[in-house]
Amino acid sequence: MEINQNENATSLVLLKQGAEARVFESTFVGKRSVVKERFSKKYRHPTLDSKLTLKRLNAVSFEIGGAMHDKGKTTWFLTPVLYAVDPVIHTLTCEFVEGPAVKDVFLDFGLNRVSKEQIDDIATQIGGSIGKLHDGGLIHGDLTTSNMLLRSDNNQLVLIDFGLSFTSSLPEDKDLYVLERALISMHSSCGNVMDQILAGYRKSSKQWSSTLNKLAQVRQRGRKRTMIG
Amino acid sequence: MKSYDVDGTSLFLALYKDVSNSKELLNLMHAGTLEPEVAFLNASLIPDVFPLLAAAQKTLIAKSRDSLTTRTLHSELVFNYSGSKHITESLKRCGISETTTYVLAAQFASPDEMKAVDKLIDGKEIDLEELATGANNAQIQKILPSQHFKISGLELGISTLADAITCRIAARDAL
Repeated sequence: MEINQNENATSLVLLKQGAEARVFESTFVGKRSVVKERFSKKYRHPTLDSKLTLKRLNAVSFEIGGAMHDKGKTTWFLTPVLYAVDPVIHTLTCEFVEGPAVKDVFLDFGLNRVSKEQIDDIATQIGGSIGKLHDGGLIHGDLTTSNMLLRSDNNQLVLIDFGLSFTSSLPEDKDLYVLERALISMHSSCGNVMDQILAGYRKSSKQWSSTLNKLAQVRQRGRKRTMIG
Repeated sequence: MKSYDVDGTSLFLALYKDVSNSKELLNLMHAGTLEPEVAFLNASLIPDVFPLLAAAQKTLIAKSRDSLTTRTLHSELVFNYSGSKHITESLKRCGISETTTYVLAAQFASPDEMKAVDKLIDGKEIDLEELATGANNAQIQKILPSQHFKISGLELGISTLADAITCRIAARDAL
């Protein structure tokens, strides 16, 4: 095993290092893949640490499969194809999605390389995916434009990073407000993307009315989130 | 016969149709006297090689940690492919039965041993490319995701059958 692991290590290329995990590019039985490794944090109590690390890993792998099961109904949205989960070394291997992050596309809008139609199409897709997600009772937990990718071959939106996701069907938990704040701070140059997103959301979510009412309330008072973990 | 590299180990695959001695093979397996050791899979449940390779990778990792759930390396492969946690049931479904005629043989070993396997099977070897056409999609949709999730038409609208199976295989232990 030792030898095997070393061999694998050489074929890994570090793509990003974050506070919670490292992301590598690799190959998985011949296909280009992304490996996400959640490392343990030495400052946390070992028991708590192993629990949290595993919980986050499992949350990811559960939702990354793209499946939500709710009262016998299953909702589907696009996520990368999951290739492997390793609970022992806390890694997750999934498909390498070829394409830019929505964040970069939106930022390029200012440089006139991206048309208004493209932005509108992406925004509608974002709203549609989030609507499906929420109807299935799943809250992403970290909705930002850097967690959305566009497949370059068919321009389809792919959601990534479900590490902070949880299941809930309360309108309060539906994290549109966070997305709105993120959009305002990052992409104010794109004009009003949020309206397009909400239009997409309305089309795909059956519970849009209560969610949007709640969003209006949250806008007035700011957001409080119960922080556990 | 074709070989695939799975994390440095070779996995040999060969696809057979019109297999007439499944019953014999099954008896040998049950008696534990199948020589060399090999995995026989119900090929109509395999639309593509890739999910099987994902299962093989998982199997090899379990082997390297001495944490195989089933008795042998090759039965573990069949078990992992099923995406289910039920050993007996998954061996029954994804392995061969007395009446199976369409079989995929898989082996982690050498080409020589694979030739021995070729002698064991009384059937006609066909190209692995045929997997896609030979797969029984309706049966896969019914059986593979076991009790957790059924692969619905909606999912196939946005993804392929092979991808859907791969996700099931990968996510089994996390569900």
